[in-house]
Amino acid sequence: MSGNLEQPDLSRSPVGPGAEGSPVVDRDGGDFAGPGRTLRADALRRLRKNKLAVAGLVWIIIIILIAITADLWAPRWLGDPIEIDSATVSERTLLSPSVEHPFGTDKLGRDIASRVIYGARVSLIVGIVAVFIMVVIGLIMGAIAAYYGGIWDSLIMRTADVFFAFPYILFAIALIAVLGKGFQNVFIAIGILGWPSIARVFRSSIMSVKSNEYVDAARAMGASTRRILLRHIMPNSVAPIIVYATMSVGGAILTEAALSFLGMGVQPPSPSWGLMLSEARSFMFTAPWLMIYPGIAILTTVLAFVLLGDGLRDALDVKLKE
Amino acid sequence: MIGYIARRVLQMIPVFIGVTILLFILRAPGILPGDPVKMITGERAISQTLYDQIVEKHGLNKPIYVQYGRYLGDLVQGDLGESYQKGRAVTDILFSKFPNTLKLALAAIIVEMFFGIAAGVISAIKRYSFWDVLVTFSTSVLVSVPVFWFGMLLQILFGIKFKEWGLPYLPISGMSSAEFPTSVHILLPAVTLASVSTAYAARIMRSQLLEVMGQDYIRTAAAKGLSAGRVIWGHGMKNAMIPVVTFLGLDLGAMVGGTILTETVFNWPGIGLEMFLAIGQRDWPIVMGGVIVIVLMVMVINLLVDISYAFLDPRIRYGRKVA
Amino acid sequence: MPPLLEVDDLHMHFFTRDGVVKAVDGVSFTLESGKTLGVVGESGSGKSVTALSIMRLVPEPPGKVVSGDIRFKGESVLSMSDKDQRKLRGNRIAMIFQDPMTSLNPVHRIGKQIAEPLRLHKNMSRKEAWAAAVELLAQVGIPQAEERARNYPHEFSGGMRQRAMIAMALACGPDILIADEPTTALDVTIQAQILELVQEIQQRTESAIILITHDLGVVADMADHILVMYGGKAVEFGVADEIFYHSLHPYTWGLLESLPRHDVDDKGALCPIKGQPPSLISLPPGCSFHPRCAYAQPICSTEVPPLVEVERGHYSSCHFAGDPDFVAQFVAHSCYVGGPREADG
Repeated sequence: MSGNLEQPDLSRSPVGPGAEGSPVVDRDGGDFAGPGRTLRADALRRLRKNKLAVAGLVWIIIIILIAITADLWAPRWLGDPIEIDSATVSERTLLSPSVEHPFGTDKLGRDIASRVIYGARVSLIVGIVAVFIMVVIGLIMGAIAAYYGGIWDSLIMRTADVFFAFPYILFAIALIAVLGKGFQNVFIAIGILGWPSIARVFRSSIMSVKSNEYVDAARAMGASTRRILLRHIMPNSVAPIIVYATMSVGGAILTEAALSFLGMGVQPPSPSWGLMLSEARSFMFTAPWLMIYPGIAILTTVLAFVLLGDGLRDALDVKLKE
Repeated sequence: MIGYIARRVLQMIPVFIGVTILLFILRAPGILPGDPVKMITGERAISQTLYDQIVEKHGLNKPIYVQYGRYLGDLVQGDLGESYQKGRAVTDILFSKFPNTLKLALAAIIVEMFFGIAAGVISAIKRYSFWDVLVTFSTSVLVSVPVFWFGMLLQILFGIKFKEWGLPYLPISGMSSAEFPTSVHILLPAVTLASVSTAYAARIMRSQLLEVMGQDYIRTAAAKGLSAGRVIWGHGMKNAMIPVVTFLGLDLGAMVGGTILTETVFNWPGIGLEMFLAIGQRDWPIVMGGVIVIVLMVMVINLLVDISYAFLDPRIRYGRKVA
Repeated sequence: MPPLLEVDDLHMHFFTRDGVVKAVDGVSFTLESGKTLGVVGESGSGKSVTALSIMRLVPEPPGKVVSGDIRFKGESVLSMSDKDQRKLRGNRIAMIFQDPMTSLNPVHRIGKQIAEPLRLHKNMSRKEAWAAAVELLAQVGIPQAEERARNYPHEFSGGMRQRAMIAMALACGPDILIADEPTTALDVTIQAQILELVQEIQQRTESAIILITHDLGVVADMADHILVMYGGKAVEFGVADEIFYHSLHPYTWGLLESLPRHDVDDKGALCPIKGQPPSLISLPPGCSFHPRCAYAQPICSTEVPPLVEVERGHYSSCHFAGDPDFVAQFVAHSCYVGGPREADG
């Protein structure tokens, strides 16, 4: 921004006597200026205001609920996602959408809506578990690198650089080629590949906080290392991780879809959105609806996570000008 | 500047070595679960004698470092092994397809450059307008779209539906045909490949231009009496473009990496399609060979982009201060 | 003959989401050729915004001229078309900014940046403009100008950059040069050089100068007139000597008091003005300065004092400016320049 000391900062009211609600907050959650607002409450308030993020969150919750309760109602009302009803199969293949089968049926007579719903389970599990793995590994690596510095730092960061040199999909393909195709290996692969980004973010977070003045101030007050770590470093470093993790769930879902599409991930007959798209290719001319619904499912779910992540980032960014 | 280039090259070397180590770990025995012999022959059942023969031939029973040395040696000579199924050297197979992949990636970058920069500039200039909101939102959406699905949608719309409706339509498969030359065949795949990156490029262009426009030297330019257009173009863009160009360059690398999905959808005869077919056949040497080739290409491109940065930014080109 | 520049009761407000920022709330002054006006005040007093308004560089949303006028050679700048305004900028009225590092475009050569206004306003060819630019660099005291013109800003030192900015501003021979805190970002030793340079230029070209600063010391030598601003308003205006030796406003007294004194050995305390500058969104009622004024009376918190010509050519906006006893308080008080020091409280 302008280097001129003079110009009023036009996007937020100048702080001074009479200025209201200056968000000067003690990181520990208490406050010492302005009306009593904590960082967390501030963030939640901002998040709530962001309609897109809220919409994303709502959609995610809906999908989770649908996925969890699916067993109770989907097979009965829609049809089993995996089992083939050999008695009626020839009459039920490739039906276009109707009341009975809202998304139509696939080449083996299975209800697509049901498969899409069960596919949600796959995607969500992969997304969440993979991100969990990558966050755990990433946090540990990032913490070691930042805290011990020196050779550990170089080693870990160099390794991260190596991982970064690989295009993601290719690395996942290579890893799965070795480990074997299948559901479990997908989230293991994604989790293993994702740690460098988290580690980097966490590490730079720690390092910037470490050199920040209020850590020195705390130290001058005699706070122990552990206290500093817990009460000063962690809360500030956590925010970007939360944002990144949220968006990574979306990315993980996309990666799983891509891998399954290529035949490296979930294997038939299990329902996976990516797999369904791959199966739909042969019927593009005759039954285009086969590919629409799984695609929409992927799009909306990932979008929900992306919007939520965006919203979280805006909400947690203390420096953001409102 | 020579110093800058030298430093960049030197920095790349340990990464390069790390990459080869990582790739080696993936196929070496004992480190990861999986049978390295399978990596060579595919997953057919083979006799024990054949198994032992292969172990001998490829030195799979030697100590790790010996194997790594051999591997590195092969790599340097350009030997990526042999496709067991096809009986040809992996290198031959891949390099014959390589130019096609490159063509596609370049076409995609051009698309991205055009649309990404234009969209970014417009949304920065007309901030908060309908257009800006549209661009910002659609970039969020594009990022969430599975690339291959997007390709399939384009295929259905422009290839099938347009044909049905009697509109001029586009080819959706292969690199050339009786009806259309390559330049037309490349359209849909290029747009597909570019789609996600264009979203990012627009975002970056927008945020860079906005940041630059807030700088003091823009105010100085206005104070000299330049019109708004001249200020944006002559002063703003030149600064904002530097990181964008860098991004585009890096993206070229990422595109080369991501072609596998697009080539599969459009039957584009490049490295990606080869790899996809190989996956179906469990022809692992091709798969791993493809990975290696692409990774190395990406690294080289990244290095070149890094170096070109020095030419673009005079602060790096002329680093020394005059007293 | 109309004055070269006339600012007539200017009110420039910013309409933000948090409220209306009254950045400039009643400023008037005139400027003649060859004269220097010093505009003094703390951060947030509205001095820069006033200058930017003259150049019409204030972004129009959220800024807006609510009332008042600015006239250049009798013609209203505010009612000019965009095109006409641009003809003035960099040409007849030029401005140099506080931080030369960020104010110069890092990817253009210095010569090119200096040549730019010449090519724009004087229609010079690239060669002619470049030659003129080199000449200008030499005039502002940069050695080996021919080579230096080919450098980029980051290759120059801070003082050199500011000289380059001055060259850029002078390129078209402007009638008015506005210098917004030209020395604040520079070392003390360089500051003096730059100020000397500016003075020298004025003697040569007869242009008028508006020198904006928060430091009274900077204008001490150079200014013919001084305008003191506070909270967006003009609080005192007059001939420089009058302001220094016979000021009629408590804020100016405060500024004078807070000047560190170099000439006396006595290790007296520094006398800063108590308190903080006011928020321009919610100014105090009555006189904006009254919460910090040591001499405030009840009326100060209720009535806004108007800017009044108390003595010939000397304006002040203090209710008691015309009261000699009131003014005498200051002369008798503590650290006043030229007055007795507060040795015995």
